[in-house]
Amino acid sequence: MMTDLAMRGRMLLWTVALVTAAGAARAGGDAARGEKLYEDCAACHSIERGVNGVGPTLYGIFGRKAGGLDDYRYSPALKRSGIIWTEGTLDTFIADSQATVPANRMPYAGMPNAADRGDLIAYLQKASK
Amino acid sequence: MATKMKEVDAVIVGLGWTGGILAKELAEAGLKVVALERGTMRSTDKDYAVPIVRDELRFVVRHDLMQNTARDTLTIRNNPSQEALPMRRLGSFLPGEVVGGSGVHWSGHTWRWTDMEFRVRTLYEERYGKNFIPTDMTIQDWGITYAELEPYYDKFEYTAAVSGKAGNIRGQIQPRGNPFEAPREREYPLPPLTPILASEMFTAAANNNGYHPFPRPAANASRAYTNPDGSKFGGCQYCGYCQRFGCEANAKGSPHITVIPIAMRNPNFELRTHAWVTKVLKDSDGKRVTGVTYTNVLNGEEFEQPAGMVLLCAYAINNVHLMLLSGVGQPYDPVAQTGVIGKSYCYQTGAGATLFFEGRHFNPFMNAGGSNTTIDDFNINWDFDRGPHGFVGGYNIGAGFNTALPIGYRPVPSGTPQWGKAWKAATAKWYQTAMNINASGSVMANRYNYYDLDPTYRNAFGQPLMRMTFDYKANEHKMGQHAAQVINDIAKSMNPTRLNQATARTLPWTVVPYQSTHNTGGTIMGTNPRDSALNKYLQSWDCHNLFAVGANVFAHNASYNPTGPVGALAYWTADAIKNRYVKNPGPLVPA
Repeated sequence: MMTDLAMRGRMLLWTVALVTAAGAARAGGDAARGEKLYEDCAACHSIERGVNGVGPTLYGIFGRKAGGLDDYRYSPALKRSGIIWTEGTLDTFIADSQATVPANRMPYAGMPNAADRGDLIAYLQKASK
Repeated sequence: MATKMKEVDAVIVGLGWTGGILAKELAEAGLKVVALERGTMRSTDKDYAVPIVRDELRFVVRHDLMQNTARDTLTIRNNPSQEALPMRRLGSFLPGEVVGGSGVHWSGHTWRWTDMEFRVRTLYEERYGKNFIPTDMTIQDWGITYAELEPYYDKFEYTAAVSGKAGNIRGQIQPRGNPFEAPREREYPLPPLTPILASEMFTAAANNNGYHPFPRPAANASRAYTNPDGSKFGGCQYCGYCQRFGCEANAKGSPHITVIPIAMRNPNFELRTHAWVTKVLKDSDGKRVTGVTYTNVLNGEEFEQPAGMVLLCAYAINNVHLMLLSGVGQPYDPVAQTGVIGKSYCYQTGAGATLFFEGRHFNPFMNAGGSNTTIDDFNINWDFDRGPHGFVGGYNIGAGFNTALPIGYRPVPSGTPQWGKAWKAATAKWYQTAMNINASGSVMANRYNYYDLDPTYRNAFGQPLMRMTFDYKANEHKMGQHAAQVINDIAKSMNPTRLNQATARTLPWTVVPYQSTHNTGGTIMGTNPRDSALNKYLQSWDCHNLFAVGANVFAHNASYNPTGPVGALAYWTADAIKNRYVKNPGPLVPA
């Protein structure tokens, strides 16, 4: 029998594969356009250091472990997801977060368009440092 | 002995939509402002986030965001011959009690009330003659016009992220909008919400019956939005937990995510929570107010807050209660028909049908607060001739879901047992297959529907409870019958498998079950001090530095939800204070 964690890991890989097949975010997106798309996130996520809102700050997101900030109350699901935020994992998560990490507590239906996600991630890469 | 605080320019009683708007606007104009809120501080990140907010038991059944009736409530009766008894549990209406007030737990339905309300007596007398209006129906013109309010409706809609489709832009009728609405300067800030199956089916049926369906305008952001003040909204997630709940996605237009945080960043503004205002203080000649007294509900400590201006921005009922407790203006007497404070309390009426379609799946758990299609053919459509039906006012009809939750939403066909095995089987069978068509109807002012102070019962502060005397009159019964007929005709045209028909409300009004938190009147605005408490700027005729802002100023109740004009009037009053009153304090309208 597969452990719970192993099952989650497989589900995650499966989802990543699915999203990749549907078209992953292209590298080198348009950060200026991404800044406008960031409006989808801004009501809950700041990009300033130490400023958490309804969601955790996205400052320093790249390379961070999911659920990794000490001063934000994450869902257990996200904390044990084992995700490290990269261009690829963020792309998968933003496309459909509930499929990627079931029972996470982000109320967001997802950004279905791969080009949009690429631009948003390009903006985040620029702005989150 | 009350501790006397340092005098400020303005003290605001209650920090919901109206208090929040006035706090932001007046602090920005350079006034020193203190807001006193009886409730506690709540925020989206700590209190309304997933998963804690998805708790029907806590927020709906146990009224977590509402007034605590153990501390203060009302006594209730249907007519002056009865003895009023205290309402010991909330039911029919739900006043909010947190920072953000009822603006946290509303559904977001945002309407523009028109001259059909503001000029009600003039219009009906002109068309039908004086005798058409019953002698005990004390309706009167409001002293304001739609044209005066239009820019303020616009301001409120853009602040609160209202999604909708305009029906009339500067006189041009717009396809798919409400053709009966009064002209607006521009479109809504956001496009309509995504329709759901129930609203789509109603749209088709209404069109087939020759009516004019349109998406209900609602302060549920249909996509991410930044308002003109820079407040950021997420897009509505159609989570199904809207009415009674704070919004988990910051998508519902609410004061705690818009005007209040802006005021709180302004050094001119201070908020004190858990501050229960017990009285408005008057100076010795009674021409001005000098501030308020309040009690810290956590420790019982009493304070006096002197202020150059007092702005009553509590829930509509509580604004009237404070006026009566403080002796500002003459209390209304229904027998002698003298006095104005407490006059013209109004509510709303309605009728509803439930339609069951075997094989359809409505997914009632998935919707926005405003996922409704509406028709106004019997509401603000002046071509609808009330003459043959003999009623004043109107009703809108809508269909869709709003907060149909697992405990409370259990549609079953009439005749199903109310408990036991048969009920369980029926609720499982029909849950997914049901949709509703509902009418919300106006209630006209009546001589015997009013507020005064209860002679017997007192609240936790030793003060008389507010007494509400209210019942539906023949006018509402007639309108309800008309509405039920129209609903049933539309419903039958849709060929449901089973139909629970709409019936008019003709039994006396009671405090259970929940009906609507649209309580209006009590300190009404008007054209003169003999028949109104406030002038058109919501300024007291008696004490010019007292303003009372909220649905308590409505001279009667329309079929629409009240928050549109409540928000618009708050901005209207803020402008009158900033631009005129502060420069030249005194009556803004000669008495």
